[in-house]
Amino acid sequence: MNYFPDEVIEHIFDFIASHKDRNSISLVSKSWHKIERCSRKRVFIGNCYAINPERLIERFPSLRSLTLKGKPHFADFNLVPHEWGGFVHPWIVALAKARVGLEELRLKRMVVSDESLELLSRSFSSFKSLVLVSCEGFTTDGLASVAANCRHLRELDLQENEIDDHRGQWLNCFPESSTALTSLNFSCLKGETNLAALERLVARSPNLESLKVNRAVPLDALTRLMSCAPQLVDLGVGSYENEPDQESFMKLMAAIKKCTELRSLSGFSEVAPLCLTAFYPICQNLTSLNLSYAAEIQGNHLIRFIQFCKRLQRLWILDSIGDKGLEVVASTCKELQELRVFPSDLHDEEDNDTAVTEIGLVAISAGCPKLHSILYFCKQMTNAALITVAKNCPNFIRFRLCILEPNKPDHTTSQSLDEGFGAIVQACKGLRRLSVSGLLTDKVFLYIGMYAEQLEMLSIAFAGDTDKGMLYVLNGCKKMRKLEIRDSPFGNAALLADVDKYRTMRSLWMSSCEVTLGGCKRLARNAPWLNVEIINENENNDVMERNEEDEREKVDRLYLYRTVVGARKDAPPCVTIL
Amino acid sequence: MENSNSYSPYSSSSVDSTKPSPSESSVNLSLSLTFPSTSSQRETSQDWPPIKPRLRDTLKSLRLRLRQRGYNTALFVKVYMEGVPIGRKLDLSTFSGYKSLLENLSHMFDTSVICGTRDRKHHVLTYQDKDGDWMMVGDIPWDMFLETVRRLKITRPERC
Repeated sequence: MNYFPDEVIEHIFDFIASHKDRNSISLVSKSWHKIERCSRKRVFIGNCYAINPERLIERFPSLRSLTLKGKPHFADFNLVPHEWGGFVHPWIVALAKARVGLEELRLKRMVVSDESLELLSRSFSSFKSLVLVSCEGFTTDGLASVAANCRHLRELDLQENEIDDHRGQWLNCFPESSTALTSLNFSCLKGETNLAALERLVARSPNLESLKVNRAVPLDALTRLMSCAPQLVDLGVGSYENEPDQESFMKLMAAIKKCTELRSLSGFSEVAPLCLTAFYPICQNLTSLNLSYAAEIQGNHLIRFIQFCKRLQRLWILDSIGDKGLEVVASTCKELQELRVFPSDLHDEEDNDTAVTEIGLVAISAGCPKLHSILYFCKQMTNAALITVAKNCPNFIRFRLCILEPNKPDHTTSQSLDEGFGAIVQACKGLRRLSVSGLLTDKVFLYIGMYAEQLEMLSIAFAGDTDKGMLYVLNGCKKMRKLEIRDSPFGNAALLADVDKYRTMRSLWMSSCEVTLGGCKRLARNAPWLNVEIINENENNDVMERNEEDEREKVDRLYLYRTVVGARKDAPPCVTIL
Repeated sequence: MENSNSYSPYSSSSVDSTKPSPSESSVNLSLSLTFPSTSSQRETSQDWPPIKPRLRDTLKSLRLRLRQRGYNTALFVKVYMEGVPIGRKLDLSTFSGYKSLLENLSHMFDTSVICGTRDRKHHVLTYQDKDGDWMMVGDIPWDMFLETVRRLKITRPERC
């Protein structure tokens, strides 16, 4: 029974923002469920096939902001066919039909068409914010309709999308009356940009805080842009291969000096060392720096730059910075919270001594007390280093280590890295995300199952010996939501041991493992509330006939997820839903 | 970075992983690495290490630019003979053109390998390009080929 009128309760609920909390509230009572769902403005859907748009709208009629995720994570690494699915169109159609007052749409790994964008732009008069991450299927024509028709657009953020660039006329489509932009990111566009249109747009957007341009914006244009937007907080620059002449350099530096609010810097697909020095004046203000596309710049230039960045909280960099560079980071960036070190040499042809090793990782862990998230690509690792890192940094929330060579052992002892990762999960009680690599036996999974109580996402590649490994994880990690496994010897016994476990998880991915078609079929029979998808890109797609022989055939890629709406109808021929 | 034609050099002793053993030697033979029967059927481009397409393309362009400027960067691609699960790795940057590539392949696989049209007697060389499509080797200029090639496959006679 409620002691307050509904409006008061609703007002109280307004203060509760987190999805988890709101979901909890809705379970308290029927009355609270109703008040909560009618007042809910923001909804997050981690798997677009777990529910359908009609049911979503029915439950949350006041929806304003929707986040949708489509393809599984391993799609980022070419393991999922392009035509797999994750189409946003039916969602936009349904939302438009129901006249939902949509203001914000955030999509990740979804297929978006120009038609979808056109419909979006015409259907929601209060639409303010479009964020597309790792999406594909659209062209700059779609962007043009968004620019032209969304009168109240504040944010257009395109991150790492595959966009067919029909050359930059879309920027012209923002009407002269459009002055509300706060964020514009088109760094992933590959073609030419209409610089004049861009400059006019930036000049008439006094609230613009975040601007990320693509590689086709040259230095002089960047200088002009920064000059008319000194209020920028977040800047993504283009590609500057050539050293600028003296005059251009001075102008650039002068413009940069005026950007006293600048806190975040990215872009730099190529950057001549001198160009980088033009940014020295604002280094001390930077809290976020992404130099992970600056593949040509050498470690010493990076080090010189970072020495000025004392307030850095987030750093994304290439391994060319080297252990020495990471030692500089460790002694300079005491506020560092998140570090990502990406590989710059995929082929390991030279005896490249300059890339990072376990030494750099240990240095960072020792020097940066606030570090909680790390993604680290390297060529070698040792248990001793990982044990030290665990001792130095018990606060890790995300720990992702990728040793480039699969199955590589501790290079000083030739042993597996079970003990090292074991130390990490034991010390880091709040660990939510983990990626393991290197030579690993079932033991590491025993440790993970025993200690990683808060673990929600686990990525496994080329690891483990038997089904026991996977079972340790499934039985031990109570909070597991996403499990993705590739090239590991886990099979049907592990897959089928506890079918109800998958009720508590969002999804499971297994590729190049030991599960067979028979095992997957059995799973699908025992769990009708799961979609069990087999992805098979064979030259002869008629291999998927149901006969005795096939039951023992190993499944190339398996993706299963819980759903309340049954098998999806939009799967391509290479996907079979059991 | 990836050893496609080597087994894990560690002895495969069967290990009871529930009993801790400090001096236990490593075990994983990981045959899935060396037998690409699933991955060669897959019409996708490279999937290891796990980096996103934008970084992958950035690094590939860098290597090509360095090569053009005369730096010695290798360009290793996998080469499979159809029907043989274990492949080889070849550094394409060591060849001056299609002729030297074919000569070398014919020598490596001990058979005659040619470019171009179907031939009932010879093995024909094909390649997978950056879009994931399988194409005949030899149609485009050598430099363009280097930019787009991802892997090579020598088909059995009369198959293409």
